[in-house]
Amino acid sequence: MSGAVQTGLAASARVRRAPRDPLIAVLVGLCLAAAIGLVLGRPAPYLVNAVGQLAAFAILAVSLDLIWGYLGILSLGHGLFFAIGGYVCAMHLLAHGTVVTGTLPDFVQFMSWKGLPAYWAGLEHAPYALLLALGLAGLVAFLFGLVAFRSRVNGVYFSIISQALVYVAMLLMYRNDTGLGGNNGMTGFPLLFGWPMGSAGAVTGLAVAALLALAAVLAGTRLLVGSALGRRMLACRDDETRLRTLGYATTRLKLQVWCLSAMIAALAGILYVPQVGIINPRVLAPDLSIEIAVWVAIGGMGRLGGAVIGAVLVNALKFWLSAAMPEAWPFLLSGLVLLVVLVLPNGLLDLAGLRLRPTWARGAR
Amino acid sequence: MGHLTRRGFVGSAALLAAPAIVRSAFAADTVKLGCLFSSSGTMANIEGRLNHVVRMAADEINGRGGVNGRRIEVLTSDPASDWPLYAQIGRQMLQQERVAALFGCWTSVSRKSVLPVVEQNDGLLFYPLHFEGDENSKNVVYVNSPPASSVLPAVDYLMGPDGVGAKRFFMIGSDYVWPRTINKQLKGYWKSKGIPESAWREEYVPFGFSNFQTLVNQVRSFASQPGGQPIVVLTVVGSSIPDFLREFANQGIAATDVPILGLDMVEADLEGLDTGQLVGHLNCWAYLQAAKGERNQRFLADWAAYVKAKGVPFSADTVIDPMVSAYDSVHLWALAAAKAGSFAVPEVRKAFAGLSFADPSGYTLTMTGENNYVSRGVFIGSVNERRGFDVLWQSPDAPKPVPFSPYG
Amino acid sequence: MNRVRAVLAALAMLALPALPAAAAPLERAALAADLCGDAAAQARGAEGVVRAAADASAEDLRAAGHLLAALAERRLACGSAGALLLDRAGAPDGQDALTGATRPAAEARAPVLGLRQRALVETARAAVALLTAESVAARAAGLTTLERRAGAVPDAVLERARDAESDPGLRASIAGAAQAAALSSADPEKRRTAVAAVAAAPSGASLARLRALRGEPAAASDPAFARALDAGIASVERAVRIGDGLAILYNALSFASILFMAAVGLAIIFGLMGVINLAQGEFIMLGAYATWGVQEAFRHVAPGLLDLYLIAAIPVAFGATALVGIAVEALVLRHLYRRPLMSLLATWAVSLFLVNLVRVAVGTQNLQFAMPPYVSGGVPLYADFVVTWNRLFAILFAAATLALTLVVLRRTPLGLDIRAVTQNRDMAACLGLPTRRIDRLAFGLGSGLAGLAGVALCPIYSVNPGMGSGFVIDAFMVVVLGGVGSLAGTLVAALGIGGANVLIEPLSGAVAAKVIVLVGIILFLQRRPEGLFAARRRR
Repeated sequence: MSGAVQTGLAASARVRRAPRDPLIAVLVGLCLAAAIGLVLGRPAPYLVNAVGQLAAFAILAVSLDLIWGYLGILSLGHGLFFAIGGYVCAMHLLAHGTVVTGTLPDFVQFMSWKGLPAYWAGLEHAPYALLLALGLAGLVAFLFGLVAFRSRVNGVYFSIISQALVYVAMLLMYRNDTGLGGNNGMTGFPLLFGWPMGSAGAVTGLAVAALLALAAVLAGTRLLVGSALGRRMLACRDDETRLRTLGYATTRLKLQVWCLSAMIAALAGILYVPQVGIINPRVLAPDLSIEIAVWVAIGGMGRLGGAVIGAVLVNALKFWLSAAMPEAWPFLLSGLVLLVVLVLPNGLLDLAGLRLRPTWARGAR
Repeated sequence: MGHLTRRGFVGSAALLAAPAIVRSAFAADTVKLGCLFSSSGTMANIEGRLNHVVRMAADEINGRGGVNGRRIEVLTSDPASDWPLYAQIGRQMLQQERVAALFGCWTSVSRKSVLPVVEQNDGLLFYPLHFEGDENSKNVVYVNSPPASSVLPAVDYLMGPDGVGAKRFFMIGSDYVWPRTINKQLKGYWKSKGIPESAWREEYVPFGFSNFQTLVNQVRSFASQPGGQPIVVLTVVGSSIPDFLREFANQGIAATDVPILGLDMVEADLEGLDTGQLVGHLNCWAYLQAAKGERNQRFLADWAAYVKAKGVPFSADTVIDPMVSAYDSVHLWALAAAKAGSFAVPEVRKAFAGLSFADPSGYTLTMTGENNYVSRGVFIGSVNERRGFDVLWQSPDAPKPVPFSPYG
Repeated sequence: MNRVRAVLAALAMLALPALPAAAAPLERAALAADLCGDAAAQARGAEGVVRAAADASAEDLRAAGHLLAALAERRLACGSAGALLLDRAGAPDGQDALTGATRPAAEARAPVLGLRQRALVETARAAVALLTAESVAARAAGLTTLERRAGAVPDAVLERARDAESDPGLRASIAGAAQAAALSSADPEKRRTAVAAVAAAPSGASLARLRALRGEPAAASDPAFARALDAGIASVERAVRIGDGLAILYNALSFASILFMAAVGLAIIFGLMGVINLAQGEFIMLGAYATWGVQEAFRHVAPGLLDLYLIAAIPVAFGATALVGIAVEALVLRHLYRRPLMSLLATWAVSLFLVNLVRVAVGTQNLQFAMPPYVSGGVPLYADFVVTWNRLFAILFAAATLALTLVVLRRTPLGLDIRAVTQNRDMAACLGLPTRRIDRLAFGLGSGLAGLAGVALCPIYSVNPGMGSGFVIDAFMVVVLGGVGSLAGTLVAALGIGGANVLIEPLSGAVAAKVIVLVGIILFLQRRPEGLFAARRRR
């Protein structure tokens, strides 16, 4: 690589470098404050639980924004990685419960198996389960991404194919013979690290963990997008051909970020499942994966804080309205999406005036 | 339909702004009941009706002065056929709204999703659907029958001389736990009767599957093989039911050739079908709209009047078993609460033992202290030309529920 | 097998020598009493009609037919004063079965037929229809039912029907059925003719009947019969195999036609504008609801022409969905052409909105459609291959849609414009084509085609607000696999996916079939993202 090229890139990166982003700092601070508040304030468990779930959704949204907002790849299959994290986590909880309580999970009894299948071995150990969840998500992402990026599957094609992928996974998991609970999925987790699942301690612990994880993910991804790699991501998003011509291995770049994004999504799944107490193939429904993109778009894509705001806002509204105004919620959601898409190209951040430069005008697709 | 609105808003504001408990005062002379039935998504068409039935039952009880001097207030919601959302809203209703009992869920998976919530909060969930059994939580009241006390009598009837003397069985189900459990128990039952394994076939289709051509072809070739009278045991659910029936009739198979025993088939599934070609196919529930008796006539009239008065967006002259079961649930709860003189769940639960309620089906529902199951009668219905079911057979009394099947 | 043989033998014994003795006339009073009785009495009554059918007078048979029909349709009310025939089930009064006098049906009960008794009643009604019905079609329908109940009908009934039949075609059919009924006859000659007659109408059931005979002593002792039997079995086996093959072909074609119709509108929209229209399934749903609206209009304005509503709905559904499409384009998508991924989210929001709008406005229940005869039922064509009219309707509809689309794209100015813009938008714009207007019209065309799919799906699937959601992914797979902007590709991909699904389904089940096909497509597209038929274009 010639020096001139590097200088050119660096110069352009200087120009395009995101301004110092107070939003991320604010959000990280809010996460930490909320975590402390949960521990000290001891609010009603359902509120604690809701906050924890929102944090998990926010992590998921950040993972999608990382590749969509910064690399221009819209995955409509991110539910797959979320589900991988969730399923492995559920397997861990059940395996752990089986070891402690000695009773086999429902679906194992239903399948008339004598015990947990061999590939569950070791899952009762949390560190191994964590590694497995992240590793598996990374591996699946790697295999899918490798073929797709090498064949230069781009834009809407990638979206459609990733959607088909998550749909296939859903069909597979709905099958009982696949062996992970079929449609009923996995539920009835007895213990979390030895704590009874529904106890105030466990609920608070999970929510705090989710909030801390969100803070860490935000801080980490912020560092990433601010780094040289982050600048290459933006360059790749804006003109991949030129970047490749300049000698950068764009396939490898995309693959790296894609796998990282998948692992973050899996982390969100790991944190989500113990909080809702169930994992079932529903999380693999193509609709849910589209919804993740909707959160990001509503909050403002290409801005990690926007993803968090979108995810929290949409889901909090959903929790509230599906009980309070069941009829209105779908209309409100579709109206919100259309409003954002048509009037606020950078999402709700436009409203707050926090956004300085429109991302889409630079051709993000 | 805004029922949680004001308090919901406060709760949500708290949720967004500061994690603090906000407890606004609410009238001391009401007691709240919560509904978890979807009015959007895949389950909307059938689940949606149950919200209204619960309301109707509550109105009825309120008209008689309420329970323990309090009026019942029903909170509805829309979990949107999204299983974790059932748990989420259930938790909210128990913790925030302090509902005395929940009425809800249609699919097994939604029940499984709410189960840990009611167990952790020691709530009560009245579950109005028949299901796969093999579950017995002290926090769930299983208002409908487990398979061993509903499906087996029906299959027995079909195998007997009064039915069709069925010898061979083609089982078609949606691929999930309810159909698979039913079929597993049926196979165990047939094995115990010495029927060879070659006498049955088992096929599963995905949820929402509608292209039944190939399967119906297979049913026809199965039926043409020797070995005795074949029947189809149909455990597909949702929109797959009418789609299967339509293809079955179009390929010219009559109920007198190969009868279908549709275990999840209700009057609502026949809406939109020409049932002239389907006359004679069977279903099996703890209530049929055609049930005899003055109690049923009154219930049907009440429902029709309610639909008209409240502008309910469902048919005034279609009543299905889960509607009656939901109606029974509210009454059972009210009876238990009145008997206990309290709304506290442990007290109400204690009061279940020995409870009895004469419901629209004509049977008297009873509960024992043994478990939270309810004794219900068994009806076998036969499809008629008018998109309904005639009562072909009904059990002499309400059999004792058997939560855990002896047949695997 | 033994059972079949035993039944056949018993019936042969019962039918032949017993007939003269059973020549007693049909006692209407006794029959009415039997049909009002318990299950055993109902069976006795129905069987009595079949036995007496060979000799009873036409008038008696007709009267018996009325009673049986009333029982089957729950129009027979049984009270202490005797049986009543009602005009419709649940009517307050009816005619006395014997005297014809009108009486109230207040305390009478309408018995429900058990399945076993229903089969016997059906046989008896078919025998009565074969002997006394006015129209050839009704007599032929009676024969078809009787043929399904091989052995339950005395030979004399068929002989009487054959002799009385005026229609030569039906007469030959009856003769064939009578010959086939003699499979277990003592006369070797008759037996051989019977085998030939059974083999002449091949089906899985006739194969089972012939195979059952293979193990009988008659086949062992009579080599000529055994040879005839083997030849018969072989020919039926061949025919059944061919029939099954035809059925697979038909199933594949019908599934493919549904896929094609769901995808063709998308192919145009996606090819032209690169817009992923996630609301396409909802446009299909709107087409179906428009069809329902047309039906309701017919019901109120011209009930006599109700059968034609499906045809009349074609332009209405097309127009209505095209208008909705144009509105969506004008209000939403117009602003998003530079941001295809945002247009994807926008169309998702539109689909969410449409589903809920219809849900709130019309309700969630399945819509009730009156099915005209040309889309209900089917006709057995060859062996076990049944052509179902609703699927044939869809296939023809898809073919017509294809032709229409081709004509529009190839033979109209709009089509020329669409093709020009699809191939090179900038160049087309330079040449003065109003690309935005063409986009809008093309979007309307694509939406209208989805509306047409809605019409064709009404007789096949249940129509409710959520019906569209199942189509989108399949339709996109078809479009992407076929190659964007290529109508031929869409057609080939639909045929390929439909065929693969139908072929794999019997081997591995419906779920696995879908999974295998989708995984295959994903892998194929990873290798060849431009699909089967890549259109040459510049963007």
